[in-house]
Amino acid sequence: MYLMVLPGFLTVLIFNYFPMYGILIAFKNYSASKGIMDSPWVGLKYFKTFFHDPMAFRVLKNTLLLGLFTLFWSFPAPIILALLFNELRNKRFKKIVQTVSYFPHFISVVIVAGMIKEFTSRDGLFNDIISFFGGSPIMFLLEPDYFRTIFISSGIWQGVGFGTIIYLAALSGIDPTLYDVAEVDGANRWKKIVHITWPSIRSTTVILLIFAVGGILGTDFQKIILLYSPETYSVADVIGSYVYRQGILGAQYEYTTAIGLFMSMISFVILYLTNWISRKVSDTSLF
Amino acid sequence: MRKVSLSSRVFDTVNILFMLIILVAVLYPILNIIATSVSSSRYISTGSVTVWPQGFNIEAYTTVFKDPYIFKGYLNSILYAVGSTGLMLLFTSLMAYPLTVQGFVGKKFLTIFLMITMFFGGGLIPTYLLMRSMHLLDTVWVMILPGAIGAYNVFLFRTFFMNIPSELRESALMDGANDPVVLFRIILPLSKALLATFALFGLVGSWNSWFEALVYLQDQDKYPLQMVLRNYLFTLDTNAIAGRVGAGNVAINQAGDSLDPQAVRMSVIIITMFPIMCIYPFFQKHFTKGILVGSIKG
Repeated sequence: MYLMVLPGFLTVLIFNYFPMYGILIAFKNYSASKGIMDSPWVGLKYFKTFFHDPMAFRVLKNTLLLGLFTLFWSFPAPIILALLFNELRNKRFKKIVQTVSYFPHFISVVIVAGMIKEFTSRDGLFNDIISFFGGSPIMFLLEPDYFRTIFISSGIWQGVGFGTIIYLAALSGIDPTLYDVAEVDGANRWKKIVHITWPSIRSTTVILLIFAVGGILGTDFQKIILLYSPETYSVADVIGSYVYRQGILGAQYEYTTAIGLFMSMISFVILYLTNWISRKVSDTSLF
Repeated sequence: MRKVSLSSRVFDTVNILFMLIILVAVLYPILNIIATSVSSSRYISTGSVTVWPQGFNIEAYTTVFKDPYIFKGYLNSILYAVGSTGLMLLFTSLMAYPLTVQGFVGKKFLTIFLMITMFFGGGLIPTYLLMRSMHLLDTVWVMILPGAIGAYNVFLFRTFFMNIPSELRESALMDGANDPVVLFRIILPLSKALLATFALFGLVGSWNSWFEALVYLQDQDKYPLQMVLRNYLFTLDTNAIAGRVGAGNVAINQAGDSLDPQAVRMSVIIITMFPIMCIYPFFQKHFTKGILVGSIKG
C-alpha cells in the first residue's frame, strides 16, 4: 500500500514542498550554479529593496483596491442571482437560464480577454453603441479610468452564474412546508425571502465570505497580464503581474520571491483575522 | 388556487425580464463571434454583423487551418489535457484509497502532509526555478505532472471511497486479492460518477489553461492551443498571420476582400472553444453533482 501512495507522495514532495524550500532564495544572493544551499545569505536585503521600490506602493495599492472592489461587486452578485433564480416559477425557464448562465465559467481566460479586446475596440460593440447615441469613441483598454470596471464586470460575467450553484444547493435543502406555513401566517414574498430563504444560505455565505476576504490579495493576474498595457499600469499593475514581469521576464528571482513571500504572509494574516472575526461575530469559521 | 398579489406579479415580470437580459448578455457575445467568423469583410467592417452571418464564407477557417501551429496546438492541448487528467485520476485514486483503510499506518502523517499544501506554497518564482533546475522547461512533463495531485481532490476522493462498504474490501482480501486489485477492480468501478466528474473538470481546466505554457514553454512547437490563440488575439499583426498561413500580405490586408482579420481572430476563438461547446451539454448534468461532492466534504 505504501507503493500505491508513492507516486502521489513524490509529486507533492517535489512540486509543492521543494518550492517552499526554494523560498530561501528570498534571503540569499542566488546563483543557479551554486544552488540554493550554497548561495550566500544576504538577510533582509530584498525586503528592504521592496520597501524602497517606488513601484511597491503602486502595486500594493492596486492589488488592494482591485481586491476590495472585486469583493464588493463580485461577492454579492451570485447570492442575489441565486435568490432570483429561486423565485422563478417556471421550472423549465429556470433550467434554461441556469444552464446558459453557467457556460461563461468554462470559457478560457484568453478567450474572455480576447472578447473584451474586440468588443471594446474602436469599431467594437461598445463604441458602436456610443456612436449610435452620438458620442465619440473611447479606447477603453488604454484608459486607466475604465480598467477596473472592465476587469470586474467581465469577472462577474464569467463567474456569476456558476457561483450560484453552491447557494442553490443550500436552497434546495429547504423544507417546502416552511413556505406553506409562512403563507398561512400571511407572510408575503419578501418576508419569506428574509425569514426562510436567506437564513438557509447564511452559513454558506459566511464561509465563502471568509475565503473571499482571505483571498482579497490573490487577484486573477492572468487576465491582467492579457489586458494591461503600459498606459494602464497605473491602475492595473498588481503584485502578481509585477512579480511575473520582474521575475520571469526580468530574471530578478530573489527580489520577486521576497515580494511573493511578503504577500503570502499578509494574505495568511488576513485569512486568519477574518476567520477570527467571523468566529466571534457569527459562530461560523473555517478553523 | 392561491391568489397572486399585484406586487408579486410585478416582481415576477421584472425578474423574468432580468433573466432575459442575462440570456442576452451571455449568448450575444458568443453568437456574435460565431457569426463574425463566417462573415465576409464587407459586412464586418461596416459593423452590420450581429448574431447572424452576413455574406457567409468560411475562408477564415480554411486560412487559419493552413497555419501549422493551429494543428500542433490542437495535438499539444489534447496531449496535455489527457495526460494531466489521466495522471490526476490515477495518482489521486492511489493516494486516497489507503487513507480509507483501517489501520493504515501513516494516514495521519499523509493527511497533514497534504493539508499543509492547501495553505502554503512556494509561489511562482521558486516553482519556476525548480522546473528550470530539473530541466523540465520545454518538456511535456512540466505541463502534466505538477497538477497531478491536489490535496483537495485527494480528500474528496477519500470521502467518496469511504461511502463504499469496507466489507467489499475485506471479502476480496479473503479471496486472495491485494489492495491494488481491490482499488482497480472494486472501488473504482463503483466510483464511475466521481471519476467522470473529475475527468471532465480536469480536461476542461487543462484545455483552458495557458499561463503555465507562457511561463514554462519557450518552444512554439510545444505551445497548447490557448497560447496560439493568445498570440493571434494579442501579439501577431496581420502580416505575421499572413506569413504563418503561407499567404501573401494581400490575402488578409486588402480592403474589400472577403477575408477580414477580425474574422480570422474570431475563427481561432471558435476553434479553441469548439471542444468545450461540444462537451458542455453532457458536462452540465455532471458538474452540479461535482460541486455538491465538494460542499458535503465539510
